[in-house]
Amino acid sequence: MNARFLDERGLSRRDILRAGLGAGALGALGAGSVFARAGRAAAAAGGDKILVVFEMSGGNDGLNTVVPYGDDAYYRQRPTIGLKPDGLIPLDDRFAFNPGLIGLEEMYRDGDIAIVHGAGYDNPSFSHFTSMAYWHTAAPNSGAEYGWVGRLADAMKPGGASNYVVNIDATQSLAVRSRDHVPVVFDDPARFRREGFFQEQPLFRHVAEAGGSDNPSRRYLLDIARSALDASALVREAWAAYSTPVDYGLVPLDLPKVAALIAADLPTRLYYTAFRNNAFDTHVHQNNLHRRLLTYAADAIAGFFADMERIGRADDVTMMVFSEFGRRVPENTSLGTDHGAAGPMFLIGKPVRGGHYGEPPSLTELDAGDNLIHTVDFRRVYATAIEGWLGFDGANDILGGNFPPLPVFG
Amino acid sequence: MSRPGYALRRAGAAILAVSVALPAQGALAASDPWRGDLTPIAAEDWNYDRAAHLLERAGFGGTPEEIRRFAAMTPDRAVRRLVNYESVDNGHLPAFDHSGVHDPGLVDFPPSRPATTRLARETGEALGVRVKPQGNRPLQPVVNKFFYWLRASMLETRRIAYWWGGRMLNTRRPLEEKMTLFWHGHFATIESKVRDYRKMLLQNETLRAHATGNFGDLVVAVAQDPAMLYFLDAGVNVKGAPNENFAREIMELFTMGVGNYSERDIREAARAFTGWNADDLTFVVHADQHDEGAKTVLGETGNFDGAEVVDIILRQPVTARYVTEKIYRYVVREDTRDAPLDALAAVLREANYELKPLLRTIFLSRDFYSRASVGTHIKSPVQLAISTYRKLGLTEMPGIPDFNEATTALGQTLFWPPTVAGWARGRAWVTPGLLLERGNFARDLLFTDIDFHAHDRFAPDPTIRDVHMRVKEGADITSATMPVQDGAGGMMAESNMMADRDEDFNTRFGSYRGWQMAIQRVKAIPRIAAQVDLAAMVRAEGLETAAEAVDYFLARFMSAPVGAAERTMMVDFLAAELGTADLAAAESYLEEPLRMLLHLVMSQPEYQLG
Repeated sequence: MNARFLDERGLSRRDILRAGLGAGALGALGAGSVFARAGRAAAAAGGDKILVVFEMSGGNDGLNTVVPYGDDAYYRQRPTIGLKPDGLIPLDDRFAFNPGLIGLEEMYRDGDIAIVHGAGYDNPSFSHFTSMAYWHTAAPNSGAEYGWVGRLADAMKPGGASNYVVNIDATQSLAVRSRDHVPVVFDDPARFRREGFFQEQPLFRHVAEAGGSDNPSRRYLLDIARSALDASALVREAWAAYSTPVDYGLVPLDLPKVAALIAADLPTRLYYTAFRNNAFDTHVHQNNLHRRLLTYAADAIAGFFADMERIGRADDVTMMVFSEFGRRVPENTSLGTDHGAAGPMFLIGKPVRGGHYGEPPSLTELDAGDNLIHTVDFRRVYATAIEGWLGFDGANDILGGNFPPLPVFG
Repeated sequence: MSRPGYALRRAGAAILAVSVALPAQGALAASDPWRGDLTPIAAEDWNYDRAAHLLERAGFGGTPEEIRRFAAMTPDRAVRRLVNYESVDNGHLPAFDHSGVHDPGLVDFPPSRPATTRLARETGEALGVRVKPQGNRPLQPVVNKFFYWLRASMLETRRIAYWWGGRMLNTRRPLEEKMTLFWHGHFATIESKVRDYRKMLLQNETLRAHATGNFGDLVVAVAQDPAMLYFLDAGVNVKGAPNENFAREIMELFTMGVGNYSERDIREAARAFTGWNADDLTFVVHADQHDEGAKTVLGETGNFDGAEVVDIILRQPVTARYVTEKIYRYVVREDTRDAPLDALAAVLREANYELKPLLRTIFLSRDFYSRASVGTHIKSPVQLAISTYRKLGLTEMPGIPDFNEATTALGQTLFWPPTVAGWARGRAWVTPGLLLERGNFARDLLFTDIDFHAHDRFAPDPTIRDVHMRVKEGADITSATMPVQDGAGGMMAESNMMADRDEDFNTRFGSYRGWQMAIQRVKAIPRIAAQVDLAAMVRAEGLETAAEAVDYFLARFMSAPVGAAERTMMVDFLAAELGTADLAAAESYLEEPLRMLLHLVMSQPEYQLG
């Protein structure tokens, strides 16, 4: 194993280099084969649609992301950290993007970004962990055992299948926990391998039968070992074969890895990845930091879709972007914002009908804690992805309620 | 037979027998009558395997010699020896050896680079460095020092992690370090926000001082800890403008758990903590920033300060239950069905939150030694690394592989928990990717990487190394720090185009100089590879056959049995590598095949269980 250091965002410089600067050197060598693969992939997949869920952890400040600059109340609530109209990227006379989102401006103008305003849920929790668990399970206050992506996989592919769900992160997200599927969870694809001598390989390819063990932890580990065996070579080869001239920005997050697996035609339908480690928890001195975080996210997302275009898969992929809550409407006294409630979600990709969805929440009629009152239950956006995009009827069963999709697709 | 390895091998054989004769599923409850039973384990039930289990959970695992020593005690004496450790001399452990990277200019380090340069512009000085009166890049020395301190504090904190790892490895009070590690995850504080190794070290010492003392004292100590105060933005929690971050985490994560208080309780509690702050390394209360008004917290009203709010929180029965469950999951098992948590919480509450009675009760209980508890715990990366070192008989922390990078690759970096909630535990420690990494860690230990880079000497960022090359070649700062074009005609992302515009200073050059200055001053971590001698281990035990060697390794290193088929594969593997099943015949070249065998053992899914 080659040593590496992670920076504070959990990214190794190698990840960054690989997707940005370093990839160019390999471009001439690898691009042809990737194009060839892409052509085969589109044919082989038979139009199978892919959903990528992108989590902005920490509670993204929605009001300083999609800025209601046409609303005086915004500047009254945020006299210091409210973003002045100068420098914003206007979408219309009411809303503008944070300047950090400049990487997404073109996609928005092309109609590839749907903004869903006011996504949230009743009786919001202001705890990162609790609220994130609600979003992960799509079941507020339930303590549900499985995540919504896991349940979706169980419904779409009963009994489970290898490599159907991929979660790129250091640890598995509750969102992908599934009854029938063992999600493929890895961080660095180049390191997703067992290192060892040639003679050891037969033993590495052997995983004990778990059925007879009365030790549940042992059974769990044996399941994991089998999934690792099934997935590791595929993922590694996909990453080795992948190179791209597309610049994903300073912090590409894990999106080049998703692109590599899509380019390699893995049977994965559901990808889950995150801007990790509560990055968006901006209590103090937030404006510079928040803008920078948005720049990283926007560049990585724009790069990802440019890459999908390059390999001919742009019609097959949609991304859903969310955060576990927005921030309190009034700024705090530390040039930052505290945990709030509703916030915008995004559906991004060529198949999307871009524009505004949902009723923007009022900035003057707030709840008792000065928080936005949500206007769209976030599970309606999940249902939109499940039914509108993936074409799978039965979102209500998966989400446990009646959640009509929004007309974002078709 | 009187060979020293006999008792151990017999224990190993017993473990293997279990794996062969599994009970039917329906008989599980009946076959585990100790589950949930707090009755102290009887002396006649005490044996080698149970002593091994105790050392695994109350510490970082034992060598056969240590396990035999504890097995020879009564269970009561063994547990007291671990829990009442104050009289045990630990004087052989060295104090942390500071590199001397801090200076007074770094006190009150600003929260960001922009805040630092703003301060420098406004006052003519920041971080103890004056702005140049004229000339190009007048703020450059300030920016250099800003980045220097980020790197120096980070590197020095990695040295603290090494020092702490050495304590875990060599302490004679294993429970002290085990619980210090627990509290580090519980009161998670992250160096990359605190940005001061001295505060991280101070917090570590505070957690150790209270590791098994009184929980209430511990909470107050943490609430007054400079690293925690800084980490949870206590400095901006002032009268008239309370910041809730601190009060929220105290209730949600440290004491009560979510759902047992209202949002109003948090806002009121935040008022009680107003004015709490740190003056560098000292806790202070700024009386003029403290809200003296009446607050209502959890149904009680008064002019409370922070310590009184902690007292109110401790009076809530849910607090004892919450803390007990978290400790139980850490030292006993994650699956708390049938766990006697209410009874254990009562022990904690009746002892006025003294932790020793709770720990003693847990470690003596039959429940702790029940089948549901033994060999079912998925080790954390730090536990995996340290217990591996201990079971190998190491007395020095290997410098290769790097301890911090190895545990980071497995999902845990000391002093860098991922969030305020600490590390996810239990099954979250293992994913398909991480399971493979765990085996790779064992391989790195046994077959040293010959392309190892020590990242306390070798800046890991290639763009920084590139700047270094160009500066050496005499390039001007603008040219030296220009991003390398990718040459493939790809469009540059906005963030890459923004990188180098400021005229008062050059951020990238500052980052480069910061690395250079930090590497110059921070002491090096000794880079000695793990000193392992498996051949000597096998000889000392008087083992004769490949099968005996496999059984010895399984017994010495594993807490849960592997299957019979896997054991047979390992025996065949070792015999094939040796060219014989007779260890004596292979005496002169034993080491490499034994290392391969141990790599296979440590790559088993079961090796992750403790």
